[in-house]
Amino acid sequence: MKSFAQSAHSFISSSPSARERERAWESFQEIGLPTTSDEVWRYAPLSEFVLDHFEVSAQPLVREVSSFAEQLRATGGLVIRIVDGHLASVSGALEGVSVASSESTLTLRGENPLERYQSDAFALLNVALAPATTVVEIAERVNVAQTIVVLYETTGSVSFSQTQVKLGDASSATVVEYFEGGAEALVVPLSEYEVGADASLQLITYQRLEDSAWHVARTTGLVRKDARLRQAVIGMGAHYNRSRNDAELLGTGAENELRTTFLGAGRQVHDFRTHQFHKAQRSRSTLLSKGAVADESRSVYTGLIEIEKGAKRTDARQTNHNLLLSPHAHADSVPNLDIRENDVMCAHASSVGPLDELQRWYLESRGVTRADAERLIIQGFFYEMLTTLPVELAALVEDDVTAALASLQMVAP
Amino acid sequence: MTSTLRIEGLRVEVSGKEVLKGFDLTMDSGEVHVIMGPNGSGKSTLAHALSGHPGYKVLGGSVLLDGVELLSLSATERARHGLLLALQHPMEVPGVRPFDLLVAAGADPTNLRSRMSEEAERVELRRDVLDRFVNVDLSGGERKRAEMVQLGILRPKFAVLDEIDSGLDVDALGAVARRLFAATTEWNCGVLAITHFRRLLQELTPTKIHVVSDGRVVATGGPELSEILERDGYEPFRHLDS
Repeated sequence: MKSFAQSAHSFISSSPSARERERAWESFQEIGLPTTSDEVWRYAPLSEFVLDHFEVSAQPLVREVSSFAEQLRATGGLVIRIVDGHLASVSGALEGVSVASSESTLTLRGENPLERYQSDAFALLNVALAPATTVVEIAERVNVAQTIVVLYETTGSVSFSQTQVKLGDASSATVVEYFEGGAEALVVPLSEYEVGADASLQLITYQRLEDSAWHVARTTGLVRKDARLRQAVIGMGAHYNRSRNDAELLGTGAENELRTTFLGAGRQVHDFRTHQFHKAQRSRSTLLSKGAVADESRSVYTGLIEIEKGAKRTDARQTNHNLLLSPHAHADSVPNLDIRENDVMCAHASSVGPLDELQRWYLESRGVTRADAERLIIQGFFYEMLTTLPVELAALVEDDVTAALASLQMVAP
Repeated sequence: MTSTLRIEGLRVEVSGKEVLKGFDLTMDSGEVHVIMGPNGSGKSTLAHALSGHPGYKVLGGSVLLDGVELLSLSATERARHGLLLALQHPMEVPGVRPFDLLVAAGADPTNLRSRMSEEAERVELRRDVLDRFVNVDLSGGERKRAEMVQLGILRPKFAVLDEIDSGLDVDALGAVARRLFAATTEWNCGVLAITHFRRLLQELTPTKIHVVSDGRVVATGGPELSEILERDGYEPFRHLDS
């Protein structure tokens, strides 16, 4: 087996944009992999991470998708398959929606990705090694009624995908991203979403990778004037699941609703990071993060609300609740505020604890058994997060979560 | 068939303090018993202790339902033996729907949705509340009406109502009281209502009224007792305890 660096080099040298990729690789090497002494990586099990366990390959293996992915596919008007970062297929067509694969692109803010991600080692690896950028563009003034489904499959040892979704002014769309596969693999998606003025994007990311995967995702939402980004991120799989979800509220009246949720089992680590950056007046953000950890799993939620001077009458709210399902599980919650404007409304709340004894008693006092009461409450903890999803999708995810919960060992407080 | 609930010498501690100090009460199914008493007399403690609330510690005594000792049973088993508590402040259980709660509580799922709708209609509860999560974002009145839907489906032998009338407007109170009264004939439900308002009694004719003071029943009588309470308050009853 080749070293990771050798496999990366052979991939880069055969690429048409070898020079840019080489520069990204060099930047990666300059900063190196993060360590846990780095504050933003403090909770990651990096001592178990060995880059040479992975190998970059030139061609993806296209496999059959899971039955869940098949069901999901059936809910989409347009289905995009991305295998190990390659745009593998686009099926169906929707008025006003185009999908393209591009060898190299600027970020949606118009910067060189190398500069944008210069301090993020995994993003730099993505910039060096993502086979292509999949660009989904929705024209102006289009109301896309059917869902756009993006299936991200990892069949090889690494998967570096790059995705840009651009929603034109006064348009609306729903995009569902689903991640699966990735046994013993490194999965590093880098995504950007731009919501044009008066537009509305509902975005759902459901991560169901194999439990041996390393998943390091980063997304950035750019929300223009009076636009709305509603984003839900659900993390179930991976050994290490890191999900960084940022939103920049760039225009007056921009709105971002972010719901993140996870279920930890075995020795999983879920590491959610959010950054709501308010740069314009009367912008609003609502963040709800809820997760449960069972067995010996761990989670950390780190959320930052940043309000720039001049972003008057901004309203930003952040809530984080963590449910401990075992005495050996652990959850941390780290909310941060950076507010440089006085005329704002800002609130945050967080909790970490076992399931509510009184809720359980209430159900028991109706005749529900203890085991059923706990099952109902824990399922409910997740179902609450699914209420904003499109009905068909919510039903699918609800069944999937129920099945995952059924296999868990619950230890009563 | 008549069922009997027999509470004898019940002693209960809350936060290290003995609140019920030998409580006695016996009632049959189909009857309506009302417990009245000043704040702090132990009324709510009785309701919570009967249904096995984790914050209430039973120090002694006995609660027999048709000869079965409830105090040695879990909260679930007590409910399954036919005791249902309707709370003053029913808890929000986010993510759990009333239908799923009732099925897990042992309700027959056949036609359950339509039976729930009928029950909701009887207490004038908006039907969409049945599709929402249990008690989440409901007003005080809606919660108590929702408790009545559960009662109508689960059909307990005895319903214990903890201050079900507090915070209710006249319409809601009437709807809840009528539902309870109907239950006493529909399936011979015994109703043990805890209150310190007389207005509940106008809708729900009691078989007996018990006055509680300092953790014990100090007087028992018919509806006339409530008139004395109305006129003279609880003071004359405070020291009746032998």
